[in-house]
Amino acid sequence: MDTDDLIARLSASPAVMQINLARMATMMAAAVVIPLVIFLAVCGLRPDLALAWTNPAVPFKTFLPLVVCIVSVALVLRLARPEAASGWLPWLYAVPGGVALTLWIGSFVLRAPEARFAEVSPVALAECLGIIPLLSIIPTVVALRILRQGASTSPSLSAFLAGLSAASGAATGYSLFCTRDNPLFFVTWYSVAIGIVTLIALRFGRRSLSW
Amino acid sequence: MDGRVQQTEDPWAALLLAANAGDGQAYARFLHTVTPVIRGIVRARGRSFPPDQHEDIVQDVLLGLHLKRHTWRPDHPVRPWVYAIARYKVIDAFRKRGTSIHLPIEEFTDVLEALAEADPLTARDDKREVERLIGQLDPRSAEIVRAVELNEEPQAAVGERLQMTPANLRVTLHRAMKRLASIAGKGE
Repeated sequence: MDTDDLIARLSASPAVMQINLARMATMMAAAVVIPLVIFLAVCGLRPDLALAWTNPAVPFKTFLPLVVCIVSVALVLRLARPEAASGWLPWLYAVPGGVALTLWIGSFVLRAPEARFAEVSPVALAECLGIIPLLSIIPTVVALRILRQGASTSPSLSAFLAGLSAASGAATGYSLFCTRDNPLFFVTWYSVAIGIVTLIALRFGRRSLSW
Repeated sequence: MDGRVQQTEDPWAALLLAANAGDGQAYARFLHTVTPVIRGIVRARGRSFPPDQHEDIVQDVLLGLHLKRHTWRPDHPVRPWVYAIARYKVIDAFRKRGTSIHLPIEEFTDVLEALAEADPLTARDDKREVERLIGQLDPRSAEIVRAVELNEEPQAAVGERLQMTPANLRVTLHRAMKRLASIAGKGE
């Protein structure tokens, strides 16, 4: 087709609504929160939640994924505009990353060798690696759909971040149910669960965010 | 930088703002104004593409601008937005077309015609029959046909193995395929 014809055709299009990042953020958050509320309503919070939080290591189980989730949502929405660069935002991952690493190493050193991985059992792993990805399915799909409204010039990175924000959001909610408070357990296996979801989102989401 | 100053200073921004509000004339003027700039970008970045594909890429960029025009925010400068989309679409063109070596089809019309007449290898799925046909060629031609047509090796690799120039290889392959076609035709 002649370029002038193309322009004539395109210019006959109606007005468009400007992209609304706040609305996209709200919808992504809702897609994380609603499945979590249903899950926690059915399965319940852990019974000893208040008591458990008196152990200073336990709140990290909730706050570390929460921070990762918030940073990822902010970053992926920033990248939804084509001219945007990630800027300084990725550096924020150093905070939860550094805390998690410190927690892991500290627990490893402080615990007796036989207590280090005592909580690792097939049931515990199946629960953790089952529920977090399961709770991530809806938010990942919704996030990828919402992000299609944007125009990321790095679709792979955006798909990766969509999975990361969904899975870390799911882990945040799951942490209120999970009773395994050893940082060696939750740092390791939450990360593995989040990583699995993120890689799947990268693998299958990349194409949906190309345009 | 204050976005509103930018917007009134840059005619592109004023046009796109009106365009996104539904002003078709402003939109046409916006696209006409950016097109030469995009052409320049495509020409500079897409040197490895043959010139006849440049306009396709320009149109890809225009379509990209069109589909994503809602992602420009009036409080942001418009040019970085346009350039980002142009860059993305040019890279996309590299990814889509860059992997296959593009050659103008005119050079191959004789080959394509010959193949359209009868492709002696795909017409017969019986391997022994194909092998019998190829066996009637001279050994060098037979090897080229086996490598390129049956094993789908890249021509460059075959040429290197047999120490033939690409042109020589192409001609030999072409002749061999023609001969196969005539042998196969006689056999029927």
